[in-house]
Amino acid sequence: MSDAASRLRRLAAFLSKSLLLMATAMSLVAVLLIIVYIARDAIPFFKLHGLKELFASAAWFPSGTPPEFGAWAIFVGSALVTAGAVVVAVPLGVAAAIALSDILPYRLRQAVKPVIEVLAALPSVAYGFFALVIFAPLLQQRGGSLLAVAAWLVLLPLGLLLILIVSGAATRSVRPDVAPAARWILAAALAAILLRGLLALGSLLASLTVASGTNALNVSVVLGVMALPTIVSVAEDSLQAAGRELREGSYALGATRAETLFKAVMPAAGSGIIAAVILGVMRAIGETMVVWMASGNAAQVPQPWYNLLSPVRTLTATIAGDMGEADQVLGSSRYHVLFALALCLLVISLLANLGSEWILRRKQRRLGGAK
Amino acid sequence: MDLRTRKLFDRSLTGVSVMAVALMALALAILLAPIVARGLGAFFFRATSEFRRFNLEQFDRGDPRAVAAETRAVAAARRPVYDMLAAFEDELAELDTSRRPALRKQLREVKEGLVELLGPPPGEIAAVMLRQQYGQTRWDRARGKLAGILFAVKWDYSDPSRMGRKVLVPRRSAFAGTRLEPLFPYLERNLKAMLRPRPVFYWRFLADRSLDSHFFGGIWPEILGTVYLTLGAMLLAIPFGVIAAVYLSEFAAAGRVVSLLRVCISTLAGVPSIVFGLFGLAFFINTLHLSRSKSVLAGSATLALLILPTIIRASEEALKAVPRSYKEAALSLGASPLRMVLTVLLPAALPGILTGIIISMGRAAGETAPIIFTAAVSVGQPLKLWETLSQPTPALPWNIYNLATEHQAVDEIRHVQFGMVLTLVLLVLLLNLAAILIRARISKKMRG
Repeated sequence: MSDAASRLRRLAAFLSKSLLLMATAMSLVAVLLIIVYIARDAIPFFKLHGLKELFASAAWFPSGTPPEFGAWAIFVGSALVTAGAVVVAVPLGVAAAIALSDILPYRLRQAVKPVIEVLAALPSVAYGFFALVIFAPLLQQRGGSLLAVAAWLVLLPLGLLLILIVSGAATRSVRPDVAPAARWILAAALAAILLRGLLALGSLLASLTVASGTNALNVSVVLGVMALPTIVSVAEDSLQAAGRELREGSYALGATRAETLFKAVMPAAGSGIIAAVILGVMRAIGETMVVWMASGNAAQVPQPWYNLLSPVRTLTATIAGDMGEADQVLGSSRYHVLFALALCLLVISLLANLGSEWILRRKQRRLGGAK
Repeated sequence: MDLRTRKLFDRSLTGVSVMAVALMALALAILLAPIVARGLGAFFFRATSEFRRFNLEQFDRGDPRAVAAETRAVAAARRPVYDMLAAFEDELAELDTSRRPALRKQLREVKEGLVELLGPPPGEIAAVMLRQQYGQTRWDRARGKLAGILFAVKWDYSDPSRMGRKVLVPRRSAFAGTRLEPLFPYLERNLKAMLRPRPVFYWRFLADRSLDSHFFGGIWPEILGTVYLTLGAMLLAIPFGVIAAVYLSEFAAAGRVVSLLRVCISTLAGVPSIVFGLFGLAFFINTLHLSRSKSVLAGSATLALLILPTIIRASEEALKAVPRSYKEAALSLGASPLRMVLTVLLPAALPGILTGIIISMGRAAGETAPIIFTAAVSVGQPLKLWETLSQPTPALPWNIYNLATEHQAVDEIRHVQFGMVLTLVLLVLLLNLAAILIRARISKKMRG
């Protein structure tokens, strides 16, 4: 090969490589542009109104004279709805991930995968439509009894299990010949207390009247289901990544499957599960359509603050809902306050993302180091 | 803990986790069942004579002679209704003055109900809005309207501790003894003869434009808008996404730049979709002035950014799955790295890349928040291809929101809403199914 041709070839290789790099840098550019352009339109609001009004006041009257932009209730709404979604999604998601990684046989696992994929693929507006048109009326008409049934379904099995364990542990030091009898008597007494409590709770819940089906509870449940696929798939990956040797070592020491999972696998996969939860939370915070359609959109702090049956308003729904009126008044505080809210949302999601990234990467390094 | 408790604990963990999986499947079933069942109602329903008259007059569809004959037949069946109304109006003037105002109000409600049920009475000048020119086109809606005529709704507030209760009062009792009394049994008995319901398969729901803000017709403009937005987004995102994946998997040496790029990609994936929407408004429309206001172009560009990370990740996975021996063979034959990528690596990874592309297509088609401020309008005509550069469009996800919350008669067009949701869900699920099939083929080939 001649000298000139090889130089030409090296030049072409260099050029093509830098072109590839430039195209790859697109995502970097996009992230920077998003931050810059959201911040650029948010700053005028902070200049005009300062930080205090947005975060410290709960008076949200953007079209009043003078307009008030206290977004405290909106932050509370977002937090409440997200917390509700976490309560629904995390136990369910982690349990399902355990089933998928350790318990179900291969065939069944393959059958469940599409369920997760479909749940993840369904458009958010379809979830929102379900929440608004089907779930909200149901909640409004039969909310109390639905809650009572749900409480029974969740608390009865968990309570019975707890009773068996507690009664076993409490009677361990009793004389062996009377221990079984003592254990069953204790269990029966505890079960009676549990049933009494459940009956009271059930009738209390059943007597609740749900004033409006579009409320924080509705949105929490639907958001929880939406966040499930993320949590399940990331948690399952990290459970799988804990490895076969770990499990076999634990089994060889005589541990049951549950003990292996809780004492050996979960500690090893813990950071991955935390990352899964963070990603699920982000999905819930950033979701717009479900909360816009079914949260009731009332900018008020619920009374008392944990009252999930009251309508709430979230950051995303406020941005989506108010921009329709605000973009006619381009450049006003009303327009800029929405960018300020978006900036808060962006900061939250950036922090959460970096956090989960850091956790996953640290784990990777640790696992890599162990090898 | 004794052995029995340990075993019990183990078994209950199995039970709880299997139950969690079952609950997840149940949630999916609960979610999809009503959407599928009621969504199919937009396609399969019992269409009345009004539906056929509407199709002939507005879409020029159907046999004119048959429709004319049917119109005459139903008009004959409706004749007694209008006769009874006319007779009662004469009678009303002679009635006891104490009864008159209440009856007059009820009469007005009955007449309004009849216009909605059967269309305008014969001999009346045609109204402007289409929904006032035709009666109910669907038998299920007609039954609902009939109930509105037969019963008056009253609210019972007698128990102050509870919310008001809805009570249905038969109107027949209000009109007892008058000449209108026989109207109610007549309507109940002869509604079929007046509307002649027949089952149809209205596949044109997908292909018809909507008339009178979705009271009639189909959802073609929305479908077309969604297709434009999705294809536009893919067109913009695929080149960048695939190139980025090639660079990251083949050319990049591990280092600060690459890890920064990776952080950016995962950050981009985590940005809430509504923030993308605001960014699209602030950047593409207000700064770059891609179009004067909302347009398909601006919406596609916004969606492209949203799906970029998905495409990059999927493509990178696919590229990494190509066996090293392929690349080494190509390189050892003297191919330049670039040539190796183009002729060996990309073709080998193509099915995997395609899977990622198809899944992100589903994502782009279903996203609502990014197009609210950048592309979507609630009412619009189907666009020509070149108009997408400057015009906004209706789109399925946005119009589902709009029809379900902001439409002036939300309850009247439930079937359209469900039909739209079903269409969108089917679109997304079909795309995902295609991806699953391609993936199954790849894994088969890899094994074989």
